Amino acid sequence: MYAVRSGPVLVKIANMMFKQKFSVTRMPGFSVVAMICFFALYMPLAPLVIYSFNEGNNIALWEGFSLRWYGSAWENELVQGAAIRSLIIASFASVFATIFATMAALGTTRTKPYRGQMTIYAMINQPLMVPEIVTAVALLILFALIKQATNYHGFAYLIIAHTAFCIPFAYLPIKARLEGMDNTLEIAAADLYARPFKTFRRITLPLLLPGIFAGAMLAFVISLDDVVITEFVKSAGQDTLPTYMLGQLRRAITPEINAISTVLLGVSVLLVTLIFFMSRKRGN
Amino acid sequence: MKKSFTPVVAGLSLLLAGSVANAAGELNLYNWGNYTSPELIEKFEKKFDVKVTITDYDSNETALAKVRAGGHGFDMAVPSHSHVPIWVQEGLVTNARVDQMENFKHVDDQWRDPVWDPGRQYSAPWQWGSVGVIVDTSVYSGDINTSSLVFDPPEELIGKINVPPEMLDVIHTAVLYLGGEACTGDKDLLRKVRDKLVEAKPKWKSMDYGMIEKFAGRDVAASLYWNGAAFRAKEKNTDVRFGYPVEGYGLWADAVVLLKDAKNVENARAFMNFIMEPENAALMSAFARYANSIKGSEAFMPDDMKTAPEVIIPEEFRAAGQFYPTCAPEVQKLYTAIWTELQK
Repeated sequence: MYAVRSGPVLVKIANMMFKQKFSVTRMPGFSVVAMICFFALYMPLAPLVIYSFNEGNNIALWEGFSLRWYGSAWENELVQGAAIRSLIIASFASVFATIFATMAALGTTRTKPYRGQMTIYAMINQPLMVPEIVTAVALLILFALIKQATNYHGFAYLIIAHTAFCIPFAYLPIKARLEGMDNTLEIAAADLYARPFKTFRRITLPLLLPGIFAGAMLAFVISLDDVVITEFVKSAGQDTLPTYMLGQLRRAITPEINAISTVLLGVSVLLVTLIFFMSRKRGN
Repeated sequence: MKKSFTPVVAGLSLLLAGSVANAAGELNLYNWGNYTSPELIEKFEKKFDVKVTITDYDSNETALAKVRAGGHGFDMAVPSHSHVPIWVQEGLVTNARVDQMENFKHVDDQWRDPVWDPGRQYSAPWQWGSVGVIVDTSVYSGDINTSSLVFDPPEELIGKINVPPEMLDVIHTAVLYLGGEACTGDKDLLRKVRDKLVEAKPKWKSMDYGMIEKFAGRDVAASLYWNGAAFRAKEKNTDVRFGYPVEGYGLWADAVVLLKDAKNVENARAFMNFIMEPENAALMSAFARYANSIKGSEAFMPDDMKTAPEVIIPEEFRAAGQFYPTCAPEVQKLYTAIWTELQK
């Protein structure tokens, strides 16, 4: 009697427990661990940002607040040139990478499952797995051959290289968006005699846009921050902001480097925040 | 896709072409970052009507890898002395006959025939420095021209000493201190070196870089370190002095070489000759704050550098300085073993 009556209650309790058990945020010590992680992630950046406002020449000796180094970085022609180059490369690379990534995402989600789909998926994401230095050395050797053969030393090498390693970063948010999108609308469009391209233009693409923007911005940030591959691929006079900064570290460093780093950090945080809001909007 | 890609590439090459060359000639210098005086470059550009493009590298290894691969588009590079023989042996550089250039007469005797470029045919001098001891004389007022300050420190300095985490500089200095020669294979002596280092380590405070700030903040009172840093630390803490150990100390130098696949050979040769002129060498030093190898350049240097013993080695200490050779592999192994033990 007792057992029969308590049965549904037990199930209810079990259900509640089951549900709670899978909410990580309710695990004991979650907030402590989270705080430690955030601390470890962001603490090292604090001195960098603080000393960018240093009045003196030192990167570890506080001599009062000033925006002096921001001014000197802004007026430094080498920094200007490097920053403009970084932006040009990142713009082109992110646009190309996003176009390829969108095509790849459509090709791996909006089709009937086919043989080798997993292989293709793995191949697209390869740049995420291969150590950057391996890609860099490979590109160095390949491009050196092409440079010798064609005598062309322009920006195209950097843009091609950046496009290549940005593709997976643009691909992941776009693919996620496509997988989350209900394809009944596309089926409905097809039922109403829309040609595949029209369906894509009028239905798929508008719905996919937030994912495409998120992918493009992620690609942009990744290209903007790249050091290793750029260092090996760049030709004469093609220093980007990160490789310029790396060069500075060898000799006397001034808080100018902190100022440039802080601005780069700010741009990255801004873009990532935008990506976050964009993906939240699509969630709602 | 291919069709739409072509105009973009064409546009890009236009964009790049637009940014280069209003001047008659071009010159591509591949140098360490933050190391080339903009004033020097401007002066050269005006005089020769040449557009100079500077590209940075951050290590000898990166520079070597890129030049080895070819197709880099650089005319000149500035490797460190330890790497110059590698560039020469691998056939990456042209014999520019620097010793026959007009301004070679200005090169100081000490730099006319360095061990790493005999006869100075391949490389024009850029800048150089040394590894000695930086001392805060408000803490220790005795003789500072000895590496005993690090290996057998006086009472006042115990617990206030730093040693940089640079295996070769530390072990070479210790070997010279104990009366050996750099890269010695003498195991008895190396055993003594090991014992000395292990014995001295508890008297040290740290094995670290960043000494300019540490001396400025008076956290450290003595350190085996580079002269350029001593010069900068003195700007912040006027008690700081740089000692040249009489037992022997290390020298380093960077030198300009002409690359085999250079496209602007004449401009590059003009540049090599140009930087050996005293006035121009002084511009390099004024910017990067290191010494150059040109006689008479002091006259054109900023006042604070003209007489600074950190920059210009006093006559009596010159003989003790030396370029460390590259050690034989078996000696390197012994060095590494000592270093590993010291790190424990």
